[in-house]
Amino acid sequence: MLLMIQLLRDVVRYRELIWALALKELKVRYKRSVLGFLWALLNPALLMLVLTAVFASIMKFPIPHYPVFLLCVLLPWTFFSQALAYGAESIVGNGDLIKKVKLPKMIFPVAALVSNLINLLLSLIPLALLVPLLRHPFYATWLYLPVPMLALAIFTLGAIFFFSAANVYYRDVSHILQVVLSAWFYITPIIYPLDFIPEKFRWIFKLNPLIYVVNGFRLAVYYGQLPHLQSIAASFICAFLMLFIGFYLFRKHQNDFVFYV
Amino acid sequence: MERTPAIHVENVTQRFRVIHERPDTVRELFARFLRHNASFHDFDAVKRVSLNIPKGQMVGLIGRNGSGKSTLLKIIAGVYRPTKGTVQVEGTLAPLIELGAGFHPELTGRENILINGLLLGYSKREMAEREGSIIEFAELGDFIDAPVKQYSSGMYTRLAFAVATEVDPDILLLDEILAVGDAPFKQKCLGRIESFRERGKTIVYVTHDMQQIRNYCDRAVLLERGEIMAEGDPEEVIRSYMTLWSPEAVAAAMTPVTS
Repeated sequence: MLLMIQLLRDVVRYRELIWALALKELKVRYKRSVLGFLWALLNPALLMLVLTAVFASIMKFPIPHYPVFLLCVLLPWTFFSQALAYGAESIVGNGDLIKKVKLPKMIFPVAALVSNLINLLLSLIPLALLVPLLRHPFYATWLYLPVPMLALAIFTLGAIFFFSAANVYYRDVSHILQVVLSAWFYITPIIYPLDFIPEKFRWIFKLNPLIYVVNGFRLAVYYGQLPHLQSIAASFICAFLMLFIGFYLFRKHQNDFVFYV
Repeated sequence: MERTPAIHVENVTQRFRVIHERPDTVRELFARFLRHNASFHDFDAVKRVSLNIPKGQMVGLIGRNGSGKSTLLKIIAGVYRPTKGTVQVEGTLAPLIELGAGFHPELTGRENILINGLLLGYSKREMAEREGSIIEFAELGDFIDAPVKQYSSGMYTRLAFAVATEVDPDILLLDEILAVGDAPFKQKCLGRIESFRERGKTIVYVTHDMQQIRNYCDRAVLLERGEIMAEGDPEEVIRSYMTLWSPEAVAAAMTPVTS
C-alpha cells in the first residue's frame, strides 16, 4: 500500500517530465511523415478496413458485425502489447541518460505507458466512427470504458516495470517477451469469443489476468452490457497485483541499473 | 571564517565488478553456472575518498586517465550510489558531465531545451522564463527551430552549455567540457564560469588543462588510482601531479600555451 502511494507521489511530482517524455516519443514516432499525428487515427482505421474485408466478405465468420466484435478488444490489446514491447526497452534505451544524470528511473516506464495510452485514446475515434457505419448500435455503455481502461493501464504499467527491470540484467527478456506476447494473443479471447472454448477447458483461460479487462471492453462496446461486479473486481485485483510485483522489483533494483545499462 | 560544506564526501568507495565476457544472455549465464567459473574481478575506481568542498569554492580535480575523476564526479552528481561511504550535497546541482546527454536528434533545439531542463530537475515554467537567454547565449539564431541532428558539433555544445548554466544551479560539476568549441566560445564559457564563481557558487572542475586550474581554482585535488594523493594549493598539487609524468610531458606542460 505504501509502495503504491509512493509511486503515485512520484508520478505527481514528475508529471511535467513524464508528460514531456511521452510527447517526445509521439513526436519522434510521427516526425518526418507528412500526415504526422493523423497516423494514430489512420492506422486503426486502415486496419479495420482490412479486417472488415477479410472477415465479413471472405471468411464469413458466424458473428454479426465481426469487425466491431474484434476491434473493441483488439485496440486495447494492441495498446497492451505495444506499450509492453516498447516499455520493456525503456530503461536500457535511456541508458546513456541514466549514466549521466541523476534521474528518477520510474519516469521512463511511466512515460512509455502514457505515450501509448494517448495512442489508444486516439484509436477509439475511428472505432466510434465504424460502429454506426456498420449499423451496429451505439450503446450508452461506452461511457463505462474508462473503467476497464484504467485496469488495463495499471496492469500494463506493472508489466512494464517488471520487464524493463529484467531487461537491464538479461537482454534475452525483450526477445522472450515477443514470443510471450504472440502466445498471449491467442490464449486471450480476442479473435474469438470465450464461448468457443469447451466448458472443461475454460478454467485455464480464466487464469489469464487480461480476460476480465477484455471482457469489459467487449461487453460495453459490442453487447451494450456491463460486466458483473466480480469480473470488475477481478480485473482490478490482477492489475494491482501486477503493479505491486513489478514496481516492487523495479524499485529494489533501480539503483543498480546504472551499472548494467 | 566558518563555511558550511556544499559537498561532503566521506570515506567513499566505488566498486565496479569488471566481468570478463559478461554473460549477456541467459544461455551464457547457464553455461557459466554449469562450469562454476564466474570470471570477474572487483575494481575500486574510487577508494576511501573523503572530501569537503565549502560553499563558494572552485575545486579542480586532476589526475591521469582512469584515476577516478569522472567516477567521483558522478558520485557527487548522484548518478552512482557509492558502494561504501556517504555523500551529502547542499543545494541544487547541475552536472555538465557530458553535454547534451538528454538531447534527442529528431527534436528541435527549442524542444530539447525544455526536455533537458526538465531532466535537470527544473519546471516547465522556469524553463520558459529562461528560454530566451539560453537561445541568445547559444548564438543559434534561426537554427533553434531546426532538429538538433542538423547542428554542427559546436552548436550542439553551445546549446548544451547554455541550458546547463542558464538554469542557475548552486553547484556546477564540469567534466572536460571545454575541450570542444572554438576560442571565442571557450572564452565566453570561461567568463560564465568566472561569474558563477563571483556569485559564490560551488564548482568542481575536471580538466587536463593545468593553466585553467591555476587561473580559476581555489584548490586542487589530485587523484591517482582512485585515491587522493595530494590536495591544497593548486600550484603545489600540480607539481606533485607532474612527478607522475615523464620528463618530456612535464616540459610540454610547462610551455605556456599561446592563444
